[in-house]
Amino acid sequence: MNPEKGKAIGVYLCAEGGEIRNKIDLESLAEYLRQFDDVVDVGIHNELSSREGVDYLIGRYLEKKLDRILIGGAVPAIQGMVIQRSLSLAGMNKYLFEMVNLREQCAWVTPNKKEATQKSKSIMLAGLERIRRLVPLEDVIVPVKNCVLVIGGGVAGMAAALQVANAGFKVYLVEKEKQLGGRAYRLETTFPTHNCGICCMAYCKECIFTPKIDEVHDNHNIELLFNAEIDQITGGFGNRHVKVKQNGESKEFDVGIVIVATGSKTFDPNKILAYNYDKNKDVITTMEFVDLMKNAEKSGIKRPSDGKTPKTVNIVLCVGSRDQSHGNLHCSLVCCTYAIGTAKEIRRLQPDTEVYVHYIDLRGPYRGFEEFYNEAREMGVQFVRGKVAEIINDDGQLVVRAEDTDSGFLLSIKSDLVILAVGQEPSLGSDKLSKMLHVQTDVDKFMKDVNPMLPADIRRGVYIAGCAKGPKGIRYSIDDAKSVATEAIEILKTGFVTMDRIAALVNEERCRGCGRCAEACVFKAIEIVEKNGRKIAQVNELLCEGCGVCSATCCNKSIDITNYRSSQIIPSIRSLILEVE
Amino acid sequence: MESGKFEPTILTFTCNWCGYPAVSLTGLHHLTYGPGVKIMRVMCTGRVDPAFVMKAFEYGADGVALVGCRMDDCRYSEGNKRAKERVEALQKVLRYIGLGESRLRTEWISASEKDKFHDLINTMSHDLAALGPSPMPKVTTEEQPRFNKKTIDALVGDMAAHNCVECGKCTSVCPVAKTNKDFSPRVIVLKALEGVSESLSKDRDIWECITCEMCNSMCPYEVDYSGFIQGVRAEAFRLGNEPECSQGGLLNSMMRIMAVTEKQDRLGWVPEDVKIAEKGDTYFFVGCAQHLDAVFFDRNLNLVKSSISTIKLLNHAGVVPVVSNQEVCCGHDLNWAGDNENFEKLMDRNLEAVKNSGAKRIVFACPECYRTWKLDYQDLAGDLDYEMMHVTEYLAELAKDGKINLEAKGKDTVTYQDPCRLGRHLGVYEAPRDLLNLTGVEIKEMANNRDKSTCCGVSAWLTCGNAAKQMQIERLTEAKGTGADRLLTMCPKCRIHLDCAATKQTDVEKSQLDIPMEDYITYLANRLGL
Repeated sequence: MNPEKGKAIGVYLCAEGGEIRNKIDLESLAEYLRQFDDVVDVGIHNELSSREGVDYLIGRYLEKKLDRILIGGAVPAIQGMVIQRSLSLAGMNKYLFEMVNLREQCAWVTPNKKEATQKSKSIMLAGLERIRRLVPLEDVIVPVKNCVLVIGGGVAGMAAALQVANAGFKVYLVEKEKQLGGRAYRLETTFPTHNCGICCMAYCKECIFTPKIDEVHDNHNIELLFNAEIDQITGGFGNRHVKVKQNGESKEFDVGIVIVATGSKTFDPNKILAYNYDKNKDVITTMEFVDLMKNAEKSGIKRPSDGKTPKTVNIVLCVGSRDQSHGNLHCSLVCCTYAIGTAKEIRRLQPDTEVYVHYIDLRGPYRGFEEFYNEAREMGVQFVRGKVAEIINDDGQLVVRAEDTDSGFLLSIKSDLVILAVGQEPSLGSDKLSKMLHVQTDVDKFMKDVNPMLPADIRRGVYIAGCAKGPKGIRYSIDDAKSVATEAIEILKTGFVTMDRIAALVNEERCRGCGRCAEACVFKAIEIVEKNGRKIAQVNELLCEGCGVCSATCCNKSIDITNYRSSQIIPSIRSLILEVE
Repeated sequence: MESGKFEPTILTFTCNWCGYPAVSLTGLHHLTYGPGVKIMRVMCTGRVDPAFVMKAFEYGADGVALVGCRMDDCRYSEGNKRAKERVEALQKVLRYIGLGESRLRTEWISASEKDKFHDLINTMSHDLAALGPSPMPKVTTEEQPRFNKKTIDALVGDMAAHNCVECGKCTSVCPVAKTNKDFSPRVIVLKALEGVSESLSKDRDIWECITCEMCNSMCPYEVDYSGFIQGVRAEAFRLGNEPECSQGGLLNSMMRIMAVTEKQDRLGWVPEDVKIAEKGDTYFFVGCAQHLDAVFFDRNLNLVKSSISTIKLLNHAGVVPVVSNQEVCCGHDLNWAGDNENFEKLMDRNLEAVKNSGAKRIVFACPECYRTWKLDYQDLAGDLDYEMMHVTEYLAELAKDGKINLEAKGKDTVTYQDPCRLGRHLGVYEAPRDLLNLTGVEIKEMANNRDKSTCCGVSAWLTCGNAAKQMQIERLTEAKGTGADRLLTMCPKCRIHLDCAATKQTDVEKSQLDIPMEDYITYLANRLGL
């Protein structure tokens, strides 16, 4: 296959201040490159990404009337970007730029200079074959609708919604319960600060940290939808069509950005039969204990079965966490903290009550934990290392069985009240939602957020905030939601994003409309449509991520990724393998 | 390399997100490796077409590696999982064709795991140094001049093309001309007769012909159109005009490699409970069912069952066939792609393999292998002193001599797809039918049967497109329309292409053409309880 002639290519080698020059004979390489008809200019420069280097390149580009430029230098993502940007400002189409890494892939890894020079010829030739076949393109400008959908009205959802609304943009906040606040709403105190601290729902004028329920209600930019669940979200980046089911009725609207703040749910202790949770009124979860605590200040702690004050309370950690056989393998991060806090509260209100905390490890990744734990011990909370094996009812008396692994003794503790520190799991419906939004889930089934180092457009306008992407404390959920909201606001303020054009392209004449590509695409970016009386594949550029799985799947190669086409890759493969003279 | 030490050429595909940064990090830390290691960046390892890997080996790479993200970390969700599946299938193919699966390796790492990348490359280089360079010669900058033994003039003479009176009968029966208004067998001959050799280096039409020989069978002046097309293609190929094959040319690359390699593994599919031999009177030329099963791993066609059933049927008739590991692909597809040079290499190896077995008779299951031996090999090598027959012809003969019991229980109705190669090319129509009748099967014929049978639409991986799709839909509709319980195919290509259309077309309702499809030989063996 002969490459197209008539495309004026300039090839420039960067000496990288000696890093490349020391290991590769650049003069010999330049000589080698000059032999090709379509290479009209070859140059060597000391540091191409410097101000002076870029000026040099722009000069050559204009003087030699170049069409495209190939650089032999260092890392394309860093050095290359700098050069590419400057050249595009000078008028060169940014897609007609290619950079070969002569430093990391050749000079720095090949000790023998002759071998390195030979290799450099081979990889520059491959770059040449590639650049010959590059197609000039324009970035796609995607308008982003200036409103946001926040799914979930817990602390993260509220924090995100308020931030976005206060920046002047409309927010639809969809919440499946009939009120805001999520799980944190039920809490009276939070740990480790023991007071309103970071997030309670009490109304204190002085507080500046928490997202207040009233604030959310009062904000004109926030439209609240209670008893509502997401039915369907379609569309692509910048314009998503949302269908909500509210009290049996449908409601539809369009948004530009989606923030998922669906939080987590607590583990259902019924899954651990040995704890006999449903058989005993006095075996409760920590959330249920929070409800008991509501009147405890005045009337003391009263246990559910008979209202008596418990004299012995056992708090069981890792219920459903770090438990592959009955629950989830992952650690839920916050249980140790809140369990210790609960223990301290009980000791504070009822110094006569014995409190045991049964643990495997005590994990406190947050500040203040060590001090908190020491205080608990000073208050007389007893920490027993050993996972609770079973909780039984011996003729009306609850007994907690565990091994004290420090002493080796088997314990049977008569308990009046057992509190299960249940772990966190992804909330109900989270699976369906992640599929709808093409959000990946991690090994623990929580949603996976995209690598934060990747540019915004890669997220395709979908963000995850708070516990939806993994167990965390209240403060951290809020911080997370705020940072997510900040990113979203950046995009909303601009009103658009520019996306690169690496996307699949269909050869409509050749395509059979068989649908293999559509099936293979995890982003659902390909549809089989009827065109001119025939079925063919059609790509939605806004959904296409440019991975190329469709191209490799297609049997007769009628779908291909722009600028990563088979017809580009194969000649490059050939260049990389052939024996260079 | 000048030092005399073998530096393996390892083409490494890296994904943009984890693989490529890991490579850069390796460089940053000055962790050295051999100069033969070359990096090819793609956005995702899921982009790596199996054809790329095989092409790399065809060009002479000693090893190929794929370096992508960890399995749960793919930036595109599952691209690396697709890559992993494809690599597993390719490794099987590499073992079968004699390059060895250890020449293709993968590593799934995060961007920071430079040591894993470095270890992979070094281990691979070390292993390849021990294994030795690939038997495929490395491509060089100078394009090797391709050759074609026949000139167009000689071709015209041999194929009686000068007899053509431009009557147009060929075009009117041509299934491709039906959907592609620009295609005409007659016009291709005309162009060649007018001596426009130059245009051959650019003409794309010559690849559209499906070589079904409908034209041949109709031509009143017995012009050998398909032979002519093959010759024209060989000339075009010589001038650098290459077809755009399905599967990206994967199969053709495999064949070119088979022309050269020594340590193949072609017999892994042979089960314990059949009898085969290294020497004997009857040689069973198996073909590449095993390879096709690996390439089409997600289609569950189990083409190898046909080869197994052939042996079982022969054993049932008291015949212990020679099945040889020295055999290579018959080269049918290379022949029709105009690659004469590699086709002849394959032919020479096959002639050697059969000669070494001492056989007097060659039996074929695959119609393409049969046609290639009987017509194309003898065209090049002269008359071969073997009795060549399709397994159905042989079994029919054995049945006549009372050597095989063809009684079977139960009735069944089938319809039968005459393959182009067995039917029009070689004239074998009745033997397959006779055998079915003898086992008590009723054949409900399609209107277009025997020499009127319509092609499955794709020849030698060249012509998969809309014309082919139309043919396939029409043929399957016709098959369903017979009311038979099932459609039997004799040729693995018919099977692959018709199955593809049956399961993956979106033009018409599935119910219009959803007749169950089975391989003829397997079906026959099943009927006899084998």
